[in-house]
Amino acid sequence: MKKYTAIIIILSLSLFLITSCESGSQSGQKRITIAEQYGLAYAPVQLIKELQLLEKEDPNLKVEWKQLSNTTAIRESMLAGEVDAAFMAIPPFLIARDKGMEWKIISGLSESPLALMTNRDYINSLSDFKTADKIALPQPGSIQHILLSMAAQRQFGAADKFDDQLITMNHPDAMNALLAGREVSAHFASPPYLFLESREEGIKRVLSGREAFGGDFTFIIGVSTEEFYQQQSETYTHFLKALIEAVDFIEQKPNRAAELLADNYDLSQAEMEEYLSWPGMKYTLEIKGLEKFIAFMSAEGYLKENDYQRSELIFPEKSALGENESRIDKGVHQNEE
Amino acid sequence: MKNKYWQRLLWVVFLALIWQLTALSGAFSKMIFPGLDQIFLALIESFKDGTLIKQIGFSLSIIIQGLFLAAAAALILALTAYFSTAAAGLIDTLTALAHPLPGIALMPLILIWFGSGRTAILIVIIHSVLWPLILNLSTGFNSIPEIYTLIAKNYRLNKFEFMYKILIPASLPYFISGLKIAWARSWRALISAEMLFGAINSLGGLGWYIFQKRVFFDLPGVFAGIIVIIVIGVTVEDFIFKKLEAKTVKKWGMLK
Repeated sequence: MKKYTAIIIILSLSLFLITSCESGSQSGQKRITIAEQYGLAYAPVQLIKELQLLEKEDPNLKVEWKQLSNTTAIRESMLAGEVDAAFMAIPPFLIARDKGMEWKIISGLSESPLALMTNRDYINSLSDFKTADKIALPQPGSIQHILLSMAAQRQFGAADKFDDQLITMNHPDAMNALLAGREVSAHFASPPYLFLESREEGIKRVLSGREAFGGDFTFIIGVSTEEFYQQQSETYTHFLKALIEAVDFIEQKPNRAAELLADNYDLSQAEMEEYLSWPGMKYTLEIKGLEKFIAFMSAEGYLKENDYQRSELIFPEKSALGENESRIDKGVHQNEE
Repeated sequence: MKNKYWQRLLWVVFLALIWQLTALSGAFSKMIFPGLDQIFLALIESFKDGTLIKQIGFSLSIIIQGLFLAAAAALILALTAYFSTAAAGLIDTLTALAHPLPGIALMPLILIWFGSGRTAILIVIIHSVLWPLILNLSTGFNSIPEIYTLIAKNYRLNKFEFMYKILIPASLPYFISGLKIAWARSWRALISAEMLFGAINSLGGLGWYIFQKRVFFDLPGVFAGIIVIIVIGVTVEDFIFKKLEAKTVKKWGMLK
């Protein structure tokens, strides 16, 4: 029994040590932790980092960038309170929101061409896929998976038609597998992998994201936790301002942005410019297609609820933003019509 | 024996109670710390639609296949090492090189060479099981008392008789404890391989189940998967390995 008591005492003491460390580092200075991801759709986020836009907003703000491997990891660290703001596609956001995670959309970030690419000669449309053809995409519940399901639903009346053929791979691995041409028959790609693949001989497009969705949609949105929004509303506003500035910067000075970001993406400046201005690549704060994603995902059982109000999903913009206030709104209202 | 199970049951109930009280106290958000009721609901749900059963079957079949292949290979290699000093050097070197290497570290290579299907998972399992088995078997062979080998010589047993009648039975306690380690390690290898390779939906096992629950942000489901793994682990340890020991090494008086 003595041994157990000793173990319990040591355990509880070490717990105290951990908690005191955490509270020590969190109090005092204002700070924000942002999760960053690789991919052209996140270019404005890289620009915030490169131009130190947040530090310009508030010199006292301690900005931390965290590199996490995928959306799931980002979501989990946000739930754990380690990340304050992050960027991801609409479906993974909705899935966690539906499960009760207290977070909302800050704004849109980008629209992007997405496409299902194949290396098989006999595949020209979705109906050409054989059951042995494997389709690589980031993970179940990702925007790529939802888009594929939407297309399957429209064409075959069965959203889960391809679910038994999915193989979970991150984009670089999937691209390599697609180029190798053995195991994987198709890859639902996003830029820059999509651009790289479309240049390769023998690789062709089966389905574009736009066709799958049936219209324009926002690819990446910015999200933050309710806790951060409430407790650090000043920092939140700074972040939103920096985000708007970065998005405007890319739209207004694409050449300068390409110059700044080329190193970041390990590309030449010319390539970077080409990619940033690729047809369909668009950086905007609007949030398009939210309602359609909700309708489809709840109809197919990915979400339990289906009557989300936009105020439940999107943070109200801060009045400090002035004229920018209505820009995030716009897309949503357009879509409701 | 009975007493041990009662004791274990008591502790499990006690821990479950603490878990449930912590969950009910609301100290942590439900998303981080789900109650047992939620976890068991998720478990029942998954059993109902039949997917979990299929996934358990898939995982178990790979593990059994991997364990069988690895055990056979380990037996052959350890025996070769016992009888030939040259082979012993080679096998010893290989074990020293490969044993500390986690299967996960080999994943990128395996992905390129074998793709990401069943074969890849099987190879990760065999890798993580083979080396500890060889080590245990070799230790077992080498710790046989000299007098046993002398007896074999007295009876003029040939190599196969010696192997079958003396070497293997005499080192069985080592073999069984090696199998126990192998069983535990094969689970670890399987789950991490399945989670990393992202098996095809239709061919996923328990690791895939947990991964799926994770991407759909279903923490009770993740716990349900963990509970299934624990239950299977304990069942095999308590029934299969205990029975095996009772029938062999305990009956022969080699193990208390």
